[in-house]
Amino acid sequence: MRLLNKITLNLLSISLFIFLFGMVAFYYVLREQVDQNINLELEKRKKSITKELDSAHSTTNPTVNLSEKVLIAPLDKPRPLISFSDTLLFNPDENKYAIYRHLGFVKVIGDQSYFIQIFKPLEETDRLIVRIVMMMNLLIIIIIITLLIANRHSSRQDWKVFYDSIEKINNYDVNSFEAFSLKHSDIKEFADLNRVLLTMTERIKNDYLNLKEYIENASHEIQTPLAIINSKMELLLQWGDMKEKQYKIVADAYEASNRLSRLNKTLILLAKIENRQFPESNPVNPAIMINHQLESLEDLIISKKIKITKRFDDDVTILINPYLAEILLVNLIKNAVRHNITGGELIIELSKTRFEIANSGPPLQMDPEMLFKRFHKASSSPESLGLGLAIVQKICTLYGYKIGYSYKNEMHVMHVDFK
Amino acid sequence: MKILIVEDEKALSDSMVEYLDEEGHNCEAIYNYFDAIDKIGLYQYDCIVVDINLPDGNGLDLIRFIKKKSILMGVIIISALNSLENRIEGLEIGADNYLTKPFHLAELNAHLKSINRRVSYGGSNQIIMNEIKLIPDEHKAFVNDQEITLTKKEYELLLFFISNKNKVITKSGLAEYLWGDYMDLADSYDFIYTHIKNLRRKLLKEGCEDYIKTIYGLGYKFESN
Repeated sequence: MRLLNKITLNLLSISLFIFLFGMVAFYYVLREQVDQNINLELEKRKKSITKELDSAHSTTNPTVNLSEKVLIAPLDKPRPLISFSDTLLFNPDENKYAIYRHLGFVKVIGDQSYFIQIFKPLEETDRLIVRIVMMMNLLIIIIIITLLIANRHSSRQDWKVFYDSIEKINNYDVNSFEAFSLKHSDIKEFADLNRVLLTMTERIKNDYLNLKEYIENASHEIQTPLAIINSKMELLLQWGDMKEKQYKIVADAYEASNRLSRLNKTLILLAKIENRQFPESNPVNPAIMINHQLESLEDLIISKKIKITKRFDDDVTILINPYLAEILLVNLIKNAVRHNITGGELIIELSKTRFEIANSGPPLQMDPEMLFKRFHKASSSPESLGLGLAIVQKICTLYGYKIGYSYKNEMHVMHVDFK
Repeated sequence: MKILIVEDEKALSDSMVEYLDEEGHNCEAIYNYFDAIDKIGLYQYDCIVVDINLPDGNGLDLIRFIKKKSILMGVIIISALNSLENRIEGLEIGADNYLTKPFHLAELNAHLKSINRRVSYGGSNQIIMNEIKLIPDEHKAFVNDQEITLTKKEYELLLFFISNKNKVITKSGLAEYLWGDYMDLADSYDFIYTHIKNLRRKLLKEGCEDYIKTIYGLGYKFESN
């Protein structure tokens, strides 16, 4: 159904419903008013009748109720056959002037024409009209308000799907593995919009996956030629009769191709983490891994005279892929050792919810946001790929951990919040 | 040691054959799956180095074939596939090592040496090189029969050097051997320098000859005559 039709139909059905109720209410309200009015008139009649009865025994002239009075007089002058008019007459009952509707007509009785006048008080009717108008206004206001509320409510139901789609598109992540779906709508425009959005996201996702697959395949294919280059150069290096200058050339080329292969391997790893190709999670005890890593860096820690403080809570286990856990911890620990100063401190804290590693060092010369960017290097050493923290962040994103950096007490602090 | 190399990239296969032949191994290169099956059926090898993606088959099937026939030989997988699953699968079906391409020939050689020791002596052996003696099972090192205390990395380093003696060992090859893939190798050369300095000091202290030669800008060489 088209949006316009839907809105019209909604409005129509709501209006019909409300007006039906309104009509019934109106009927009863009107009825009540008219009854009241008639009651009032009857009361007045009762009063005048009682008065008349009383006056029957008295000598005073009975007061005449004008509404019942019929004035008949011979026609004194030519008058229209029938005429309506308003007139102000003294009402002795209430001792004041009141407005009356007056009808005068000429009647011929025998051969004599008479002018007959009858009166009807307007006061009561006026009051009734005012009341009815007020009631009507009130009812109309109530109807309009109900109509507005009902319309808003039903529109909101219709637009819900639209807002839902907007929200979902806003949060759309091409990297996400959850299927992208939109709510069904029976409104044509919204259904069209959702269909277009679904086709579009599907296409974007497919393009993205193709591109990713292409990069992955390319990376894999690069491995074999790299292996050949590396092995040939390794062989070349074993030739004993090379001059130092030649050695240097081969060595530089060898280093470069090694860097390329490491870079390639790391990029493949990053792609794999993004593709969630490490699905199996096991309970891992980070404390054991940390100790193991510290052990393997022992020599460097000793040579840099780094003082290590460990504050581990007992029995901390986290559910994570063990391989990724190791990569995560290795990178953070190695970073903290690498960027430590001679005689510096290394503080590692571990609890059920948080891992924190702090190392001494001068303040960062750059925006901490840049730390996690790919290929961003803190040092100028060519061996650094600048991918360590990018990997760490990817792993954290995968598991929904929060990673952050701060600098306090002349120490760089990296923390990972599990959940 | 008789080694069968199953690798479809001829250039890479040639490099391995050349490097390993020089180490005194007897290598035979095969470029596809079915030839490899034939060879294994016909001859006796001590070790097989096999690529997973072969033009006419899967290297893992080759390993399954070897294990099914209960043929005793060391198995090293070399593959461009580098996922944990591949690695685990390879090791589960009975491979001794899993190297991802590109790898260092020195590392392949070190692994082959260790397989050789296991195949030839059942693993409970000693490595003796002049005055240096290593007991791999216990991770112990001796100089002139005097035990020297080495850290784990220093021990691994010494074993690697002895496995590839008289070869030029590059710094990146050492770094990857010691720390594996995915390590940002920045400053690793400093680490290596520290390790080697300490190792050399410990060896010299017990009267060991200074075998470790630095090749400027390139790496090291463990020279012994």
